[in-house]
Amino acid sequence: MYGELGYKLVVHAKRTQALNQLPPYQTDIVRAVTREVRDLHGDIDEITKSYDGDFNPSEDPARACALLVHHLCIRRNKRCLLAYHRVRAEKIEQMCWNGMDVAEQAQAARVTEGDDNVAGTSSHALSPEEDEYARQYGDMLAAYKGQWTDIDLTGSLEPPKDLFIDVRVLKDAGEIQTEYGAITLSKNSQFFVRQGDVERLIKQGFLQKLS
Amino acid sequence: MPRPAKSPPPTTFYLLPLNFPTLQPHEAPIPPAMEDIDDILREFDSQNAPSNAKDYDDLLKWWINERAAPEILQYQEDLVERIMTRVRRQIEQIEDQTGNLDPRSNFQLIIVQTELERVKFLIRSYLRTRISKIDKHALHILSTPTIRHLLSISEQTYLRTHQALLNELYLSSFLKNFPGNLKRLDDSAGGLTMVEEPDLEGAVFLRVVRDVNVAIAWENGEALDMRAGDVYVIRYSAVREAVGRGDVELI
Repeated sequence: MYGELGYKLVVHAKRTQALNQLPPYQTDIVRAVTREVRDLHGDIDEITKSYDGDFNPSEDPARACALLVHHLCIRRNKRCLLAYHRVRAEKIEQMCWNGMDVAEQAQAARVTEGDDNVAGTSSHALSPEEDEYARQYGDMLAAYKGQWTDIDLTGSLEPPKDLFIDVRVLKDAGEIQTEYGAITLSKNSQFFVRQGDVERLIKQGFLQKLS
Repeated sequence: MPRPAKSPPPTTFYLLPLNFPTLQPHEAPIPPAMEDIDDILREFDSQNAPSNAKDYDDLLKWWINERAAPEILQYQEDLVERIMTRVRRQIEQIEDQTGNLDPRSNFQLIIVQTELERVKFLIRSYLRTRISKIDKHALHILSTPTIRHLLSISEQTYLRTHQALLNELYLSSFLKNFPGNLKRLDDSAGGLTMVEEPDLEGAVFLRVVRDVNVAIAWENGEALDMRAGDVYVIRYSAVREAVGRGDVELI
């Protein structure tokens, strides 16, 4: 049925919004919807051609209705496709802002989704186009951020309350340099450190902030 | 015993929470004789260059404005520049001072650093708010030159590059297979525009800074006298210009 695949895409998009990771790109559905659009457009062309340009809707309401439905379907499919890609693009942007490695995230998603998919290797979390987009967006963000090195634009958007905070180390993070000397962050240890020094590590999930 | 008539000069900490850059670590207490000169100097200062405290208040004000207004506002280039210069100076100073083990100056340093973090947060949040608005209303901003000029140069670059990238993504993902008349991204066919615009009719809370007269779009085009200090809830479009001029501040 017309539009059914488009609806599927929207459902996927909705689901993506609630997820932390980006689920695999639905190459097949996207391709099918695009094909549907092309077919519908071909039908429209055929109908209008058979009339040689002097088509009068009131004389042939059935044809007029068919044209209208075709048109609406195409528009709807386009909206679905745009929505789907937009949601994913926003997700990618968010990852870039959070300083996550998009490719790595995609890898992780592929592994988890692969469980219920025997041919797991064939599904890619990111389409090649999205890969490219992620890379270029990252570059652009770095360029914009580069003008504000003192501020660290990707830093926390929570107003800072304390200069120093308690953190617990969740994963070994090696040694970091602070103004007060080097600290070795080994798992399960706890530190009282300057927030600015460790913010990045908290975001990346190495440390947990204790309140 | 009568208490000494003259109270000790206020310490530098007194002004701290609002005046971050005024505190110089290690500042020697001002000798009484110098105080008068200082007062005179300060007066002179406030007439000329915008003072540190005012800049901080302004930043706070524009940050709140930016967060409360539905549309993007004029980028406060001079203000941000001035504050950034001071932030950089402050960072240098802190770097100079670390390693100093004197407990008194160490304590001062912590206060300075906290203050610095707060200012950095303000600027960060200010810029990020603008970026999120730019992303949201990208096509609207791009197609309206008057709005485009409210952006800083780097924000304009960001906007253009981002849109080009998005376009490229859509195009290579599926749009390239679409019939020509459906490739546009700024269509308004079918009574539905694809360009998202800010909702200027939304209500905002504001405080009046200077007396203004605002024309309200009632049937009879009535005007409303707003007195300094008053607080209103009003449609944003009615006070748009007043916000830009700084006559009112959003809260």
